[in-house]
Amino acid sequence: MKNIRKRRKKREDQARRPVLNRDAEMTLISPHDDAELDFFKKRALSSAVVLIFFFAVLVSRLWYLQIQQGDKYRQLADSNRVRYVEVVPPRGNIFDRNGRAIVTNRPSFNVVMSRENSGLNDELLKKMASILGEDVSVLLARIRKMAGTPGHIPIRLAEDIDWDKVAFIENNRLELPGIRIEVVPRRIYHYGNLASHVIGYLGEINERELKASAAGVYRGGDLVGKMGLERLLEKDLRGEKGREYMEVNSLGFEQKYLKGIEPLPGDDLKLTINMDLQRVAEDIMAAQDKAGAVVAVEVNSGRLLVAASAPALKLDEFVGGISYKAWQALLDNPRHPLINKVVQGQYPPGSTYKLVTALAGLAAGVITPDTVFYCPGYYRLGNRTFHCWKHAGHGAVNLIQALAQSCDVYFYHVGQLLGVDRLALYAEKLGFGRKTGVEMQGEKSGLVPTAAWKMRRYNRPWQEGETLTVAIGQGFDLVTPLQLCMMTATIANGGTLYKPGLVESIRDPSGRLVAQFEPHISGRLTGQSANLKLIREGMIEAVNSRHGTGRAARLKGITVAGKTGTAQVVRLRQFRHMREVDVPYKYRDHAWFTCFAPAENPEIAVTVLVEHGMHGGSAAAPVARAVLQAYFKDRLKKTGNPALVMSSGRGGRSRAD
Amino acid sequence: MLRFDRRLIYDFDWVMVLFLLLVSGMALVNLFSSTWSGGPDPSPIFFKQLYIFLFGYVLILVLVTFDYKELAPLGYILYGIVILLLIYTGLFVHTIAGTQRWINLGFFHLQPSEPAKLAVVIVLASYYSNHDTEDGYRLRDIIRPAILTAVPFVLIMMQPDLGTALMLGILFVSMTLFVKLRWSTISILGTVAMGGAFIGWKFLLKDYQRRRIETFLNPEGDPMNHGYQIMQSKIAVGSGQVFGKGFLEGTQGHLHFLPERHTDFAFSVWAEEWGFVGSVFFLGCYFFLLLWGINIAMTARDKFGVLLAFGLVMLIFWQAVINLFMIMGFLPVVGIPLPLFSYGGSSLLTTLISIGILMNIRMRRYQIKT
Repeated sequence: MKNIRKRRKKREDQARRPVLNRDAEMTLISPHDDAELDFFKKRALSSAVVLIFFFAVLVSRLWYLQIQQGDKYRQLADSNRVRYVEVVPPRGNIFDRNGRAIVTNRPSFNVVMSRENSGLNDELLKKMASILGEDVSVLLARIRKMAGTPGHIPIRLAEDIDWDKVAFIENNRLELPGIRIEVVPRRIYHYGNLASHVIGYLGEINERELKASAAGVYRGGDLVGKMGLERLLEKDLRGEKGREYMEVNSLGFEQKYLKGIEPLPGDDLKLTINMDLQRVAEDIMAAQDKAGAVVAVEVNSGRLLVAASAPALKLDEFVGGISYKAWQALLDNPRHPLINKVVQGQYPPGSTYKLVTALAGLAAGVITPDTVFYCPGYYRLGNRTFHCWKHAGHGAVNLIQALAQSCDVYFYHVGQLLGVDRLALYAEKLGFGRKTGVEMQGEKSGLVPTAAWKMRRYNRPWQEGETLTVAIGQGFDLVTPLQLCMMTATIANGGTLYKPGLVESIRDPSGRLVAQFEPHISGRLTGQSANLKLIREGMIEAVNSRHGTGRAARLKGITVAGKTGTAQVVRLRQFRHMREVDVPYKYRDHAWFTCFAPAENPEIAVTVLVEHGMHGGSAAAPVARAVLQAYFKDRLKKTGNPALVMSSGRGGRSRAD
Repeated sequence: MLRFDRRLIYDFDWVMVLFLLLVSGMALVNLFSSTWSGGPDPSPIFFKQLYIFLFGYVLILVLVTFDYKELAPLGYILYGIVILLLIYTGLFVHTIAGTQRWINLGFFHLQPSEPAKLAVVIVLASYYSNHDTEDGYRLRDIIRPAILTAVPFVLIMMQPDLGTALMLGILFVSMTLFVKLRWSTISILGTVAMGGAFIGWKFLLKDYQRRRIETFLNPEGDPMNHGYQIMQSKIAVGSGQVFGKGFLEGTQGHLHFLPERHTDFAFSVWAEEWGFVGSVFFLGCYFFLLLWGINIAMTARDKFGVLLAFGLVMLIFWQAVINLFMIMGFLPVVGIPLPLFSYGGSSLLTTLISIGILMNIRMRRYQIKT
């Protein structure tokens, strides 16, 4: 081998040298030139070292980028090219207790714009503004609103656009880079505004809610429940978002579909509400343009059958965001439609509180069923005179008569014998002064005054006269319609105070039961069944006796037991001599009626409050009667004679109590 | 008279040819990918570059036929033409994307700043080889080469094309340091250069040029524009990992995340599709070609040959290093192509001519009668 190579080299050398010698035209190289050439050759050699150094630098940089950091850059490349679109799940449906749909979803079309790469394209914005028929400034405002959110989240330019606009945008996709149509389920309300305060509405998530939520659940522009069950049961109703993964190019155009994860619809709710009864209650309130609340509850379970607050909210106004003007109108409305009066309205209970006073008096032993007080039309305490609503006086009355005719003087006596603190004890046992815990937002706890409370609140000792006004429900005491209804149910069922419930069941999309209503007892009156029976008798008399104050609630075939109430809003001398209808609306008395039926075997308790309705017997009792009539309609038919049923409605004379 | 000499075949630089063909092949494969738009046919850009390659090969064959020493006077002629072309571009050529770089020759858009680099190398090599020194050049000895560099430098700066102008400066510095300089000269020049850099930064650079450098120094300050290009390039290179995503499979390139992906950022596409293995193979071939050029300088028969060969290698080498450093995130975006690899006719022809001259020098380490 070695030899062969040597020989070849020799031959090559021989081949070359003669060439040089023969031509012999080499430039003469001087020794000086030779030395200089050597110098340059050394320099060239060191420059080769520089080259190799740079080669090594480049290779190690490649090693760093491709091997050491390769995974990171592969991920970055993927997040460059893979874009996912969130697919909003349909929200859970809401049904009433009979399985009738109250709220479901329909598909709607939104226009969204991806932000990355496209930047802020004036041309595009102008085009979109003209397609959508909006001003560029409107679109800019929406873009500005999203400024703080991550860049891969697209901006929603318009919501719920018409089908012809959808078609136009889809047809012109190539000229609208980064613009996409998104199909989003939207709420549809099958019962219009019925039970609006119970259901609530949706709105765009705000920054506070966004911060409070777990990462990744929401993003800007998502709809969340803002009120009612939509808000309280947001977690159950919202479902889980799906995702569609696409490969996109740098302009945001989809190149191919990679994979998708289906969205998971939200859980369905079944309410305890009976929409037929709800409709009756709300229709009658709306027809007479009344503000107030109607509550009906199953006395033996606490299931709410009706929870109406009037005036109702117009739910459709909230879909897609309520306008500032409409919102301001709601705030300025003297009937306060935004307030759910069932739990947020606190009113003096008026004479309905006499039920509490009666129970406290019997339980404390200060009166017996046979105790009789004489009512001359007034009651003197020291140098003050407390009047009965009936200035002529009721004469000698026992408890049942006193309840039936709502005699104030009788309860002044009971109140004075009891003292405010013993009265408060029983009020609390009946659920007053604390929240019921129902699935409604912003519930108020009402107020049960005591001597200690007054000291705390006003730094003044309790006056005995104040006990008298509290005893007839006109003092410091405040109740919500729901509390009063639950009290009525407690009296009706013999002493069990249930926690009211709105949700019968929650089922996931596959139909599996997630949660089921179970009666929850939040208090029990022990050893009071005889006393409660006496009170029930008083309530039966109040509706059914000749002098009863609640005759307007009478039904033929079903015995109704109830109690009227009138809550003074102000006690002003200037209105003393006016006719009631001349008193300005906001100074008129509130009208209460609370009742249960059938009296012999109670099933349902109904409480009605009509704000500034003036008289419980005339303004509130007919509403309660309408609800009862609807509730018992099958049984009423069986007893025949609807004509009689109707005529009994007129039997309730307008009278004070 | 030109008489065909068999020694043109005996002494032909086959090593250089082999590596030139290897690198050209990879360049064309990569150009096919970076200009591919999905169909079975290559894009017209691919064919354009292919024809320039073929034309350049023919040019090489012509270039090796005469003795490179003829180039010294030819260099001055080329230099003169280039200066005129640069002035012409500055005065009459319409602005494209804010700069005036190209002269439309109908069939070809000539970028005179490319042959300008070649002319400067020849002229400098010629000057230094004619001016001997024993104990190093003094300052006054390098005034003439400095002026020879400064004229096209200023003209190219005015286009404005910062990258190419700096290239001329780097060539001047490399070649002047290569010949012997006195230490005093080096220190004076160093001071002047630093002062010049400061003044240049303050007064001469255009806003966008300054922004590029600022962005490079602080990429977070401007994530969407200039830093974006470098970031996308690093993502492309890094995501290639060991074996790459495969030919035509690079997502950064084909989904248009890479800017200038067939010109300045061509190597990003290669690195993404062929990975570390392919990139090192390419760099190996490329640097072997350059080292072979250094070898040519070392074996050249005279001072002009040494300086010319060295200058030509530096011409290719510095462009390659600057381009690759930019691609790998060591330098800001300067708009210097990777010679042989990036798309662009003027650059490719200049590079092929340089390689032709290198081969010429190689073939005449022993004299060939011409």
